[in-house]
Amino acid sequence: MSFYLDIYRYDQAVDDVPHRDRVECTIPPNMTVLDALEDVKANVDGSISFRRSCRSAICGSCSMNINGTTGLACKTPVESVLRADNSVAVDPMPNFQPMKDLVVHMDPFWDKYSRLKPYLQPADEDSAHATERRVSPEDMHKLVAVANCVMCATCYALCPVVSVDPAFAGPAAIAYAYRFIEDVRDSKRKERAAQISDDYLWLCAHCYACSYCPKHVDPQDDIIAVKRATIEEGLIDAPGPRHALVVAKTIKHTGMLHETEVIQGTVGRFNIKGLIKVAPFGIRLALAGKIPPLFLKPVDKVNEIAVIFDTLEAPVLA
Amino acid sequence: MTAVIETPQIKRQSKSAQMRKYGFFPGCVAKESCKELFNSTILLADKLGIELVELTAASCCGASVLNDTNRDVARVLNARTYAQAEALGLDDVITICSTCTGHMRAANKELLESEAHMGQANAILGKFGAKYNGGVTVRHLLWLLIDDIGLDALRKMVVNPLRGLKVAPFYGCHIIRPESVNGWESSRNPHSLEDIIEALGGEAIDYAGKTRCCGFHVQLEKDGIAPAMVGQNMRMAKDQGAEAVLTPCPLCHLALDGYQADSAARWGRTDLPTFHLPQLVGLALGIDPSLLGLNKHIVSPGLVLQAHDLAPAHVA
Repeated sequence: MSFYLDIYRYDQAVDDVPHRDRVECTIPPNMTVLDALEDVKANVDGSISFRRSCRSAICGSCSMNINGTTGLACKTPVESVLRADNSVAVDPMPNFQPMKDLVVHMDPFWDKYSRLKPYLQPADEDSAHATERRVSPEDMHKLVAVANCVMCATCYALCPVVSVDPAFAGPAAIAYAYRFIEDVRDSKRKERAAQISDDYLWLCAHCYACSYCPKHVDPQDDIIAVKRATIEEGLIDAPGPRHALVVAKTIKHTGMLHETEVIQGTVGRFNIKGLIKVAPFGIRLALAGKIPPLFLKPVDKVNEIAVIFDTLEAPVLA
Repeated sequence: MTAVIETPQIKRQSKSAQMRKYGFFPGCVAKESCKELFNSTILLADKLGIELVELTAASCCGASVLNDTNRDVARVLNARTYAQAEALGLDDVITICSTCTGHMRAANKELLESEAHMGQANAILGKFGAKYNGGVTVRHLLWLLIDDIGLDALRKMVVNPLRGLKVAPFYGCHIIRPESVNGWESSRNPHSLEDIIEALGGEAIDYAGKTRCCGFHVQLEKDGIAPAMVGQNMRMAKDQGAEAVLTPCPLCHLALDGYQADSAARWGRTDLPTFHLPQLVGLALGIDPSLLGLNKHIVSPGLVLQAHDLAPAHVA
């Protein structure tokens, strides 16, 4: 088949601004975007730069934007992304600084990963340990999906929170925190929970953009589990956990998420500075006639809801 | 001359659809800060000739945060809601919020796929004499419009066409992602809102922000995050020529409507009025605009509506 690759070109060493090359590419059917790039590099223009190694979705090197959305080039068949004008656009991953062509500076991603101390920290030293550390199949099952992470950074590139606040750890790092927090051999559960909380765990916007993980790690569920772990570890004096717990409280008592109480409970009833910060939004709503009730009438049979919370011992804000 | 509107045939085969009578889960925001969404939904149902039976004992769906506190509680709360719908003989529960849609569907999926989860839920529900038999489907009003009413029928019901109004669709995350939970349409290239906009006589604007996050769920966690996400997305819509935004989600509505004032400093003024789905459909179907709560918006839709001769000055 014959089609056009529309390639982002930039070299930080010489270029002030990027430009694009449109290169005709002829490859056999059922080939991938990475095959096409390799063909173009070998036969048309050897100066095109991109990362790749295994070509089979194991190394995680060839993540890039393909027609505006991030994925692994080696796992994306050309036919599946061919646009109406018989072309495929390839760009460097967003949320990273471009280095050359499709290669980006990965440092912020690795830094966030390193901060987690991403290795097992058992209670006793290896040298003092006579036998292997055993893990039940049930406990191991929780770690199987996250073990498939190849650190391709697709989730990080797709994350809308990273795009507006680079301080956010991002999905992959939180998934790795989960990997050790949920490992029964590890002894640093609380320290790890505190570390990832400091790295803005609770800034996850619940958008599920990381559900596009090419390895089906699907970090969104791990992120939720890590949040639960931080609450279990008593790390609740921050807007994120307070928000979750006050939502739980208002649902338990009224059946509804009571907006006005949730705002006060999250910011802190006596946090005058914080309340002043959220005031403009509230005043704007009120001026538009959007005035949430100060007191809510509970839903019918609200006592049943407390039964559910109590049976499950579900925590609520004190 | 007043157009005579025939009530369209319902296409879907579910019991609820055939009875034209659905379980209705308005969600918390439509009962609190976005009452105009609740009111316009009721008016639209009347216009479509369907009955929405509000599940008055239903609890919050969990709003995507209850899972952060406990892994089971949101699922069991939703099982209780489905048990109520079943007790009323209704097998479709209709939502008007993307977050309700996603989280109620996720809970239902877990209940239907795991005997352990269903057993746990029914053991607790049994304490107050309730039981969920697994017969409920959760759908958004958007899907009802397309699957049950149909775009052709909708087109025929339009009496006040949008006259080329350029509308940017904004889906909100939880009605499309994750696909394993929603899966009603492609989450990367959805087009249901575009189809509705065009059926109403408007022009749908294409922009990358339409499937991105509004930031609502982190508005209280750290200053500036939600406004930045709103600004990014609204800038893209504005640059593609949008005059207004249409969303199926009141949380997106609150963020987009409420934070454009804050995002202007970084992303430039966008001032795009953000319509709730039943407001815009209702307007085109001839519902009295003064009843649709168009004056309850922070970014007033007044000028845009008047420019297209869609509503008189006093309603917005």
